[in-house]
Amino acid sequence: MRQVYKVLAYLIAIEVAVQASMVVWFDAGLGKWVGEGGVVDKSLVESGQAPFPEFMGVVIHGMNGMFVIPPLALLLLITSFWAKVPGAVKAAGLVLALVVLQVTFGLFGHDIPLVGAVHGINALLLFGSAIYAARRGAAVSGPVAVQPAAQG
Amino acid sequence: MVRQSPGGGRVRRIVAGVATVAVLGPLAWLWQDSLMPEAYSVMDMGYADYGGGPHGPSGHETHAAGGASAHASAHAGAHAGAHGPGAGRDVTELIADAGRPADVSVTMVARKQPFRLPSGRAFDGFTLNGQSPGPVIKAAKGQLVQVRLINESVPGGITLHWHGVDVPNAEDGVAGVTQDAVGIGKEFTYRFVADRAGTFWYHSHQMSHEQVRGGLLGALVVEPGPGKGEVTDAVALVHLYNGVRTVNGLEGDVRVEAKPGARARVRVVNTEYGVMPAWVSGAPYRLVAVDGTEVNGPAPVTGKALAVAAGGRADIEVTMPENGSPVRIHLGGPTGVVLGSASYDAPPVSRPAATLDPLTYGTPARPAFDPGRPDRRFEYDMGRRPGFLDGVPGLWWTINGHLYPDVPMFHVTEGDVVRMRIANHSGEPHPMHLHGHHAVVLSRDGVPATGSPWWVDSLEVAAGESYEIAFVADNPGVWMDHCHNLPHASQGLVTHLVYEGVTTRFTVGGSAENEPE
Repeated sequence: MRQVYKVLAYLIAIEVAVQASMVVWFDAGLGKWVGEGGVVDKSLVESGQAPFPEFMGVVIHGMNGMFVIPPLALLLLITSFWAKVPGAVKAAGLVLALVVLQVTFGLFGHDIPLVGAVHGINALLLFGSAIYAARRGAAVSGPVAVQPAAQG
Repeated sequence: MVRQSPGGGRVRRIVAGVATVAVLGPLAWLWQDSLMPEAYSVMDMGYADYGGGPHGPSGHETHAAGGASAHASAHAGAHAGAHGPGAGRDVTELIADAGRPADVSVTMVARKQPFRLPSGRAFDGFTLNGQSPGPVIKAAKGQLVQVRLINESVPGGITLHWHGVDVPNAEDGVAGVTQDAVGIGKEFTYRFVADRAGTFWYHSHQMSHEQVRGGLLGALVVEPGPGKGEVTDAVALVHLYNGVRTVNGLEGDVRVEAKPGARARVRVVNTEYGVMPAWVSGAPYRLVAVDGTEVNGPAPVTGKALAVAAGGRADIEVTMPENGSPVRIHLGGPTGVVLGSASYDAPPVSRPAATLDPLTYGTPARPAFDPGRPDRRFEYDMGRRPGFLDGVPGLWWTINGHLYPDVPMFHVTEGDVVRMRIANHSGEPHPMHLHGHHAVVLSRDGVPATGSPWWVDSLEVAAGESYEIAFVADNPGVWMDHCHNLPHASQGLVTHLVYEGVTTRFTVGGSAENEPE
């Protein structure tokens, strides 16, 4: 279960990196599209059809963020109950809380763009906490995890 | 050193088990509770909202839990006849004069096929009489329109909904509410009087978010009557095929001949799922009609774009410059209609920053009814929250705090004056479409309308906005009231307006596989 915990935590960190890369990929494609005379408006965005290939970046970002990462964070919390890793529940709880915040910021950012800026910073916090959780799992992954008592 | 006692391991496992159940248990319960029955009647959906008016004799009980009400309706749907004599008229009885012969008669054959758009681009989707967009149906005000719809090869069935025409309920074309989806090899005939001149459109209301996307749609123009033909009149139906914006299925400029000094009317139809800006270069324009209703005293506009709601229509009128120079009507971008005669060389210009506000446009007129003392007041407050919709987790739309199907059912009596406050707290814009009625906008964010009466059937409600609208309940039936960003409707942003004494025998799901959204 400790391994599962560690893998899940790393997966979440990788997913955050994927999210960052996808949204910037989309942004770059959008810039190129507009630069070449393309037009984007609400009806195009809502059509769900990609006028340029990088449009898929934002679609993947949305699907990943709403349907993949939250279940991963939930699974991380559940495995943390069983992982026998000190501080695992706290770390997983922190990851889940940041994921909830992140989705909220992501959606509210559509309406209040400045919240989108916070979404970007929160992504770094989430990435950091997922790595922190994973490393807690890694730190006790050896068979002997007990400090020698003699040094006290 | 021993970190844990042997007994501690067991305690730990128990604590972990309890914590796991505490996390998963409520989720499993919510998931199970959200599952929808295989078939259900919209009559049994959600809870009754009488808007402060009298409760009808049909006694639709108020339900607390959506899942429970939907489950109960599985039985109701199974013996739909139970809604029969005691509960009043069935929607199928609400038709146009059956004895009157048709003035305009059209047969439409629907197919799923690869085909070429008028632009020449290949597209795999749906056609009506071999083309998409479907043929433009033209009628004069007061004529009876009859459309025979034949489904040759569209899987899952089809319907036609007459968007913006206040048809009798049986002709509304909503699968599972006013009819069964028309399966392959079957047909259905629609009959209605085109009692209002204006620009409308038609589209399938079975699996509509896919079938409209795939091209099962077309324009319907009702002309005011004979003797008004001196104006150049053009339809500009905007639809995206595979992400490519088209006007009447054409890409780039659609040229329309208009002589110098002549008036030209361009009927813009936004079949898309999001608001579309339109703007004009080369001459001032007037917004002469919105959603099939003439604007009173429309003044010339320059330097402002129009916002055409998803599903909405805007009729733009231009007087051509005397010097013969062309006029470009931009529809969402450089794509659009170029009006001209000698020359069609009208380079695109960028969108003006300002947007015309219909709330203050035109001159006031006496309203057709007094919205000051309504018989019913409804709230249509849209939000968004995490939850399950038929077992699928997600961030779903809510109506008055409730997830589909536990949404309010707005009850009215024929003749009621109804006020409705539409508020959007969901963080995304929603183009709201009430079937079978036109509503007049009274105010936005508390600011009263001061222009021409602004009648709508498709109202773009931006995030954070609230509108107060009013209408007369003068068209008995069971009417959908939903977001016309059609994927949003399929995500539960749908409710119904029901008249006392009217019921429907049709069910969502069931043997006809009705799936209106």
